[in-house]
Amino acid sequence: MPPRIELPQGTLDLLILRCVANEPQHGWAISERLQQISKDVLRVQQGSLYPALHRLERRGWIVAKWGASENNRRAKFYSLTRKGEKQLEAERDAWEALTAAVAQVLRTA
Amino acid sequence: MLTDLLHRLRSLFRREDVEAEMDEELRFHYDREIEKLTSAGVTREEAVRRAHLMVGGAEQLKEECRDARGVQIIENFLRDLRFSLRMLRKSPGLTIVAVLTLALGIGANTAIFSVIDSVLLSPLPYPDPDRLVTIKQNDSLRNINDIRRQTKTLAQGGGVTLERMDYTGGAEPLQVRAAYVNAGLLETLGVSPMLGRLISPDEDVKGGPHNMVIMHHFWREFLGADPKVIGRSLTLNGNRYTVIGVMPQSFALPEDETDIFVSLWVAYPEAAPFRGVHFMRTYWRLNSDVTLDQAQADLSGIANQLAKQYPETEGNHPRTLVPLHQFLVGDIRPALLILFGAVGLVFLIACANFTGLLTARAIARRQEFVLRASLGAGRSRLITQSVTESVVLSFLGGAFGLALAKWGTTLLVSLEPAALDRFRGIQMDARLFAFIFAISLLTGIVFGLIPAVGATSGNTADSLKEPGRGNTTGKFSRVFRNVLVASEFALALILLVGAGLMIKGFARLQSVNPGFNPSGVMTMHLQLPISRYNKIPQQTTFRRELLARLNRLPGVQAAMITDLPFGDNYLDHRFAIDGRPPVPIGEEPVVQTLSVMGDYFGVMQIPIVSGRGFTEMDRENQPLVAVVSEELVRRFFPGENPLGARIDFARAANEPHQWMTIVGVVRDVKHGTLNEPPQASMYAPFAQADEEWRRWMSLVVREPNLNRGSSDSSRLVAQVKQQVWAIDNQIPVSEIRSMDDWMSVSLARQRFNMLLLGLFAGLAMLLAAVGIYGTMAYRVSQRINEIGIHIALGAQRRDVLRLILGDGAKLALVGITVGLVGAAAITRVMASLLFEVEPTDPATFIITTLLLATVALAACYIPARRATRVDPIIALRYE
Repeated sequence: MPPRIELPQGTLDLLILRCVANEPQHGWAISERLQQISKDVLRVQQGSLYPALHRLERRGWIVAKWGASENNRRAKFYSLTRKGEKQLEAERDAWEALTAAVAQVLRTA
Repeated sequence: MLTDLLHRLRSLFRREDVEAEMDEELRFHYDREIEKLTSAGVTREEAVRRAHLMVGGAEQLKEECRDARGVQIIENFLRDLRFSLRMLRKSPGLTIVAVLTLALGIGANTAIFSVIDSVLLSPLPYPDPDRLVTIKQNDSLRNINDIRRQTKTLAQGGGVTLERMDYTGGAEPLQVRAAYVNAGLLETLGVSPMLGRLISPDEDVKGGPHNMVIMHHFWREFLGADPKVIGRSLTLNGNRYTVIGVMPQSFALPEDETDIFVSLWVAYPEAAPFRGVHFMRTYWRLNSDVTLDQAQADLSGIANQLAKQYPETEGNHPRTLVPLHQFLVGDIRPALLILFGAVGLVFLIACANFTGLLTARAIARRQEFVLRASLGAGRSRLITQSVTESVVLSFLGGAFGLALAKWGTTLLVSLEPAALDRFRGIQMDARLFAFIFAISLLTGIVFGLIPAVGATSGNTADSLKEPGRGNTTGKFSRVFRNVLVASEFALALILLVGAGLMIKGFARLQSVNPGFNPSGVMTMHLQLPISRYNKIPQQTTFRRELLARLNRLPGVQAAMITDLPFGDNYLDHRFAIDGRPPVPIGEEPVVQTLSVMGDYFGVMQIPIVSGRGFTEMDRENQPLVAVVSEELVRRFFPGENPLGARIDFARAANEPHQWMTIVGVVRDVKHGTLNEPPQASMYAPFAQADEEWRRWMSLVVREPNLNRGSSDSSRLVAQVKQQVWAIDNQIPVSEIRSMDDWMSVSLARQRFNMLLLGLFAGLAMLLAAVGIYGTMAYRVSQRINEIGIHIALGAQRRDVLRLILGDGAKLALVGITVGLVGAAAITRVMASLLFEVEPTDPATFIITTLLLATVALAACYIPARRATRVDPIIALRYE
């Protein structure tokens, strides 16, 4: 198993927003997706995932709708709102600026 | 913002839906996880186990989701509330004791607070009350007018004296209370009439119109609240007085109660012109830019001038300004503050008890806390939960306390109407509710927090291993509770000592010999109308006839005196002794002067110490005689035989003396209050008096087998009235009271202080007993296996009893010792309330200490006895 990395504060929100940006997703799918894409490095505990979803919903960045899941069960699907799109963009820019700066420092200092 | 709010509201109000959705969402996740694992070839059991691990504590997760939804605080509160109510219902014993404890503390506090609020704190019911002042010494109308003319610091001023006027024309002649005033008194107080107008200065003159301003209650009761009352008239003292104004309902004179106001010049022209008749209470209003000191300097200047001009009457008459509010509450203030202090101590004890109860309970529920903590509940949630419970208790206590206070204040008012005149019962107003709310909330939070913090501290794992005892938390709680119980005893002892001192003082006071035998004596007041009785001979004829008639009634002995003992309403005269060097005018000694007729000393059973009492022969045109009190002899005839000496009132230089020969000495009689020192007094026969203005008299009628309060006394009163009206049917008979009643009225204030302090001390002792009982009962339950081992090893019941009692006694003794020191330091503030008792009276200290120690032992005995009944087999298994 590859080593797992603790997510820095605030990055989980960014990742969730990104995961639901293309199409509505339910909680389990989001966690699976994060795990797959990051090749098992990022593993999100439900303990942080669901509270984060509720928090983002309260802020109006995502909305929840009940729909049928891939195995035909009722599941709660989250999708990005207009406000959420703006937030995602802003956070992505901030993240990129940060990582670029950190990388720069690591390379040259 | 808006979505945020809507979201929170939805979470709050559609809580069940939201919870169900959350459940479903998590269950879906869990099921998918299992599916995924099984499809990857893991066995079903293993998949379930792993999914469990991944999902973690479902409760904790849900809790965090709720947190994220942002409704946690309110929701938690509601849940805690429901939980608290459930817990409280499950342990009704604790709930009842805790609520009652707090109700007593809060109720007593609220009652005394509302009295203090209305009596000491709230302003007088007149406009600009801070500028109202009074002069401590009464004054005459002449002087009032001179002061008004000369002052530069007093804006307005007026005087009042209370008299009784005969109202005839009704079913039977009655007396009404009349305030004889000058024009200016009501203006000074600043209250306008509700109907009509006040007496104007040009009507306030000799021979002015017979007008009156009436009080609201008189208007309602005597005049049927007639809206067209202005212009109606009533016959008072034989004259028709016309109503010109009605005062508003809220108005009352600062000190006295009255029915009507009339001009002194019109109603009592005989007394009005005399400068030396200092019988008016005066009220003044300071100019707006003037301080009390400036006004006092101004007034003293005027007083000095008056003294120079009129040395005979004003030579020795200082004038001291006092703010009116201070003057009115000055007497009762120390007592109320001491009571407030006492009730504060009771409250502290109640709180100590309350927090002690909660501590015991928190420890008993420690395992529950530990369990909940290990299931993921945060410490702050546990504390909030506990505090919610104590706040619920304290609010219940506050509610019952309010009911108690309402009942208690009714009791207060019924105990002492006179000194609490301004207190009209508890006002259920916003201030009071705020007081109760604040005191309940604070109590609940502060005294709930201590045990909650104590019980939730420490390591969860340790506590699970060794539930409830042996760990540091248990030790902290034990020490804490010991301190609480010991402090309760210290506080209770202080209160007990205070109450003990009051009781002893009151007993001393009650056992003071009033100088006569009050039981079986009825008294009534008569005043002869001036129109038909303005000369001594007419008065004497009436008096003699009345006594002759009354003494003919079977089994009745009757006599009369100007002013009754305990009436606190006697006249002083300066007097001179024949053959002694003359004393400068204005500096002669003062003596109480009383006129009597009939066998007054016999009826009142006042012992005659030497010489004789009065006889039928001591009448007009006979040698003038007087009987004096022992105190007069002690002060003016030390070591001499007073019999045969001659005395007279001090007279002006050119006025010849009319010497009275002292024919007898009688025991001292209390004419003021029981706690006053004996006064020098002299008695002279009514028939030999030369002051025709003393037209009043009090009848004393003894019927030896009179039962107090029974129909006997009303029959006797009816007979007396019949005899009075047989002679003159225009004379009112008023102030019908037994001598015992006069005495108990005079003791009312002391009784009030004693009863309340006694009550609070009793409460304190009860609460302390409950506190030590609770602690010891808990201690016994904690030490059951230890006791079991003792018994198994052969300890006798006696040994176990000694073990537990010794434990409790130690606690109580520490408290009592601290309390003794505290009491010795504190009780001196009570010195002014005590009668002939030192604030450090050793007997009181010893007795109260023994009492409290006995109560402590009794309270410990119950759990101790239970400890002796421990079955060692069961005890050793007990965990």
